[in-house]
Amino acid sequence: MPVVVAAIAVVVAVIVLVVLFKMVWRVAEPNEALIISGLGARSKPIDGVDSLGFKIVTGKGTSVLPGFQVARRLRLDSRAANLEVNCVTQQGIPVKVRGVVIYKVGDDFVSIANSARRFLEQQGSMDGAIHELFTGHLRSIIGGLTVEDLILNRERLTSETRGSAADEMSKLGLVVDSLQIQEIDDETGYITNLGRPHAARVASVARIAEAERDQEATQREQEALRENAAVIRDTEIKKAEYEGQVSQAAQQARQEVILKETRNAELEAERTEKRLESEVRKPADARAYEQVKLAEADREQRIAQAQAAATEIQLRAQREAEATRLLGEAEADAIRRKGLAEAEAIKARADALAHNTDAVIAQQLAEQWPEIVEAGARVFGNVDNMVVLNGAEGVEDMLAKALTLGGAGLGVARQLLAGMNGGGQDGGGRNGSVPSTPSLPTVPLETPEKD
Amino acid sequence: MIGKEGRVTGRIGPGLVGEVMIAVRGGVEAFYAHPVDPRDEIGVGTIIVVVEYHPPRTVYVAPAFGA
Repeated sequence: MPVVVAAIAVVVAVIVLVVLFKMVWRVAEPNEALIISGLGARSKPIDGVDSLGFKIVTGKGTSVLPGFQVARRLRLDSRAANLEVNCVTQQGIPVKVRGVVIYKVGDDFVSIANSARRFLEQQGSMDGAIHELFTGHLRSIIGGLTVEDLILNRERLTSETRGSAADEMSKLGLVVDSLQIQEIDDETGYITNLGRPHAARVASVARIAEAERDQEATQREQEALRENAAVIRDTEIKKAEYEGQVSQAAQQARQEVILKETRNAELEAERTEKRLESEVRKPADARAYEQVKLAEADREQRIAQAQAAATEIQLRAQREAEATRLLGEAEADAIRRKGLAEAEAIKARADALAHNTDAVIAQQLAEQWPEIVEAGARVFGNVDNMVVLNGAEGVEDMLAKALTLGGAGLGVARQLLAGMNGGGQDGGGRNGSVPSTPSLPTVPLETPEKD
Repeated sequence: MIGKEGRVTGRIGPGLVGEVMIAVRGGVEAFYAHPVDPRDEIGVGTIIVVVEYHPPRTVYVAPAFGA
């Protein structure tokens, strides 16, 4: 148990020691300075200068005896104070300037001591004091500068700032890091007008440059277009040449084809001609020749036939002539003999007539009786309807009369004969003349000529 | 402080408060600067040497390399 108590006591003691140490030991951060004042808090004299009467600690820790010593922190950070000043420049131009001053407490012990003495309890009001201070200084600075310097000559501005504020800032233990003019409000338009000539010049230069560039661009563009056109033209020309060559070649090819086709057609025509010649003309010639030959043969045959026929006819004619002559002779002989016989007959009849006329006439009539009756009956032939009165007697009567008429005719005939006999001596010669012998017909003999 | 070299950031000359940047205590701080010879003019960018130091932040300087 005593061990545990001892341990706890040790722990408690350690804790108490730590707490005590934390209460006593203070550490200064890099951006702050510890200002320690109180019992025994005296800085060592530096370079024989009098002590400050308080101790400044930066960047390390130190013990502060609670109750006897007091430690306060002074921030060494950068601080910024905004400035806004209505003032007049060297040229008498009223401007409204807004700016900012960036400052800090100096890092050396002298500056820290000065600042600590002035601002340790009122670090918050530092900006206000600086604002007031720098407003006045800025007014005097701007009063010594022109607007052009204000805008352009930053070195002049900082230089003037240093010149006017250096001593006071040193008194306050502050360091000015930067003074910046943020904005200049120019009510009279001075700055605007200041920029105008330059702006106009720049604008004119810009316009000139733009115009020149535009011109140049247009020139280049046109050149490019021209070159393009030239290239296109060359291309077109080349293309046309090539197309011409191609079409020429095609035309040549076509011509060759046409020549070939013509040649083919000619050959075809020749072939057709030959074929026709061989198929049509030769056979036709052959047929014609055949027909001619046939015709010749036929003609010769017919000539031969005709000659044969002629010969035959001649021979036949000769034969017939001879036959006819013989026949004629025979006929003539026959006729002569017949004539002689008739003459004798006639002579005998004449004798008979002379001696017995009536008998002859009767004979003649008897011989001719049917014709006579026929002639008499012909009268009645034209009668369609004959009404014979008196019955059969009537018919007999009529026939008797007709025969009487014939008898009358007989008498007439006898008279005629008598009349003939009266002049019979003259006409007898004529009646009894013997007809002369007819001459034999002659048949012309023709020999058909050969064609 | 005396004998340190620095660089001019604000023109130093008669009637002007110049500014120099000097490396001290691991940092670089700006100090107000005046010429040792009141007639000297030291342009921006010149290397100077601190001849005199007036606390808190004023130094008197001379050009470091002759001139």
